[in-house]
Amino acid sequence: MTKLRVAPGPAGEAEFETKPLRINVGPQHPSTHGVLRLVVDLDGEVIKRLSPHIGYLHTGFEKTMEHRTYQQGVTYSNRMDYLHGFAHDLAYVLSVEKLLDAKVPERAQRIRVILTELNRIASHLMFFGTGILDMGALTPFFYTMREREKLLDLFELVCGVRMNYGYFRIGGLAYDLPEEFIPATRAFIAEFPAMLKQYAALFAKNDIFLSRTRGVGVISQETALAYSLTGPSLRASGVPLDHRKANPYSGYQDYDFAVPSANSGDVYARFMVRFTEMTESLKIVEQALDRLTPGPINDPNRRISLPPRSELETSMEAVIFHFKLVTEGFHPPRSEVYVPTESARGELGYYIVSDGGSMPYRVKVRVPSLANLQALEPACLDGLFADMVMNIASLDPVLGDVDK
Amino acid sequence: MGLRDLFEKDVQELENEGILFSTLRKLVSWGRSNSLWPATFGLACCAIEMMQSTNSRNDLARFGSEVFRASPRQADLMIVAGRLSKKMAPVMRRVYDQMPDPKWVISMGACASSGGMFNNYAIVQNVDSVVPVDIFVPGCPPRPEALVYAVMQLQKKVRGEVFDDKGLALPMVEGWKR
Amino acid sequence: MSAVALIQALGSKLIDQPQGYPAVALNPAQLPDAARLAKEHGFMIMDVFGIDWLTYPGHRGKRFTVSYNLYHLETNSRLFLRVALNDGETVPSVTGVWPGANFLEREVYDMFGIKFSGHPDLRKLLTPDELDGHPLRKDFPLGETPTLFNEGRFLDPTAFRAGLIGKDVGLTGFRGGARKGVKSRD
Repeated sequence: MTKLRVAPGPAGEAEFETKPLRINVGPQHPSTHGVLRLVVDLDGEVIKRLSPHIGYLHTGFEKTMEHRTYQQGVTYSNRMDYLHGFAHDLAYVLSVEKLLDAKVPERAQRIRVILTELNRIASHLMFFGTGILDMGALTPFFYTMREREKLLDLFELVCGVRMNYGYFRIGGLAYDLPEEFIPATRAFIAEFPAMLKQYAALFAKNDIFLSRTRGVGVISQETALAYSLTGPSLRASGVPLDHRKANPYSGYQDYDFAVPSANSGDVYARFMVRFTEMTESLKIVEQALDRLTPGPINDPNRRISLPPRSELETSMEAVIFHFKLVTEGFHPPRSEVYVPTESARGELGYYIVSDGGSMPYRVKVRVPSLANLQALEPACLDGLFADMVMNIASLDPVLGDVDK
Repeated sequence: MGLRDLFEKDVQELENEGILFSTLRKLVSWGRSNSLWPATFGLACCAIEMMQSTNSRNDLARFGSEVFRASPRQADLMIVAGRLSKKMAPVMRRVYDQMPDPKWVISMGACASSGGMFNNYAIVQNVDSVVPVDIFVPGCPPRPEALVYAVMQLQKKVRGEVFDDKGLALPMVEGWKR
Repeated sequence: MSAVALIQALGSKLIDQPQGYPAVALNPAQLPDAARLAKEHGFMIMDVFGIDWLTYPGHRGKRFTVSYNLYHLETNSRLFLRVALNDGETVPSVTGVWPGANFLEREVYDMFGIKFSGHPDLRKLLTPDELDGHPLRKDFPLGETPTLFNEGRFLDPTAFRAGLIGKDVGLTGFRGGARKGVKSRD
């Protein structure tokens, strides 16, 4: 390995040859962002080889979803990437709606976009909190969590839960927004930019932050594309791919927002791309709120959406439809479908194969974090061991997403 | 105030003068219950809510969990937060074995307590089959307030103030009963 | 070059699943050339996954399909390469073309047991080493433990679900009721 010279001893100058050291990081480790295990070959402090071992959170989502009806699948999808749960819910319901050729009303689409973008901001806030915590700074964690709590309060207003929501239905939403939601969201939009300035003041000019992130873990554009990196990490390497712009879904073509990208491909670029994305997401939320008009929130097709509860008291057909939909579920035609969407981590899509039954035949989730994690090795090679922690943090893997 | 006064005055008077009486056991339990240091064992979504319980709004540190120790050798509480997959189970047992006595386990969330919504080949259906659990917290995920309540119940258990329906005190550490 | 041009260059049969995206049916021998051609034209690999057609009603053809989800950046077009194979056949690996296919192919191997020849490190990715078998195959059971209630009652989830939708409840057929010989607690 490396040859070192040591200071002259009693026998004169001596030469050392170092040996490679193989160490194991995780799966229980504070900075692996979940149960990720890395086997690292080190020469001194320099990483020579890195091999991720995953599967410590393998839950068998795809197999379980084959034994649940399509509507029950919504409870499973957001537990995969629990930090951006609405992105998974949205991707799943979009795929099933494409299978059924369901018409989702505009109000439902706008509410879905509002919630997904607010969740994207919450996910990026958690990214910042834990990313800088991995650098050793405790304080930004508490600041970003303060904002995240406000967002979780908004979600609790709408869905009843702070995380792992069950709000999206095939064909629309479960119920309409409460009246307190819109004023509360507007209050959040009004105060969040000032908070972002606070975060920027906390770390953007900090010497330690800059020296730990600039030039560290560079992923070139060719490497990123070869390793199927997507999402903010790809945009930080110079490829401005965003499926909200490239393949718009759920009304994203109506909103005016930019897609931040950078060219350096280092950890600093990945941090800054996500930072700017929070501002852009806020713009989308504001525009969607402005365009929100009263209207139905479900596809009127009785074979997909549950009838309104008031009808259950008077109409027998409504009761029968309700019973059939809840116990057995609807039967989509035999087909296969894929809808690519953009989650906070990259391209997310549900490939659903339907055999005409009430449960999907095969659900394959194209998760962004699994492909993103492969880019860890080229980013860390010939870098320092301490930089590996920052590389993991900057690629933002969520192990529930990786292991499914 | 001489030694004679100590024997002649009664407890109430002495307490008013600032002398407290207790047993060594109660004193040690009081110290232990108010400084439970969790080991970081967040697995999935419940780990996020566990992190949220340490933030400024739901502050777990005011109950004594000032730091989440990365090394199990310096921790006495393991909060199993999230779904335990069968691949992770031996790793969890090793981490539990590395913790020094007395140690407690809180099984946080539905997945850790019973397998939750995942009744399949990959998830351990009850963490109690791998490590002895003291407190089960239901929820998917449990609110941070629920986790704080669980820590408070554990503190009561550590102090010996919890009894089962037959009137017997529950053991301080669940693992010592097995 | 867009997906349509690539398909013409491949000269293979075009099929229309999934909805809205072109898909090409290939046999395993044609895959390496198709992958190299796609890479030259600028496609990146997004996903590799398998489908087991064992219990698909009315399926005639080979048992497995390995599908490659390719995406072209400049023209924003997507193409699916579908390779049909039976149990025991191998597929040439595309890790030489796209290094990002490494974990994706390992996952297909772990879940379906489909071997990829030429893969640098083909071993299980997600399931524990003790688990024998390949979970996503249709003949691998879900592994549900019965739901237990008081007084010896338990539910078999599969039979319960089948009973709900009017299907055959299967061998156990057990949908509730106490086990014989177990007395009630009071």
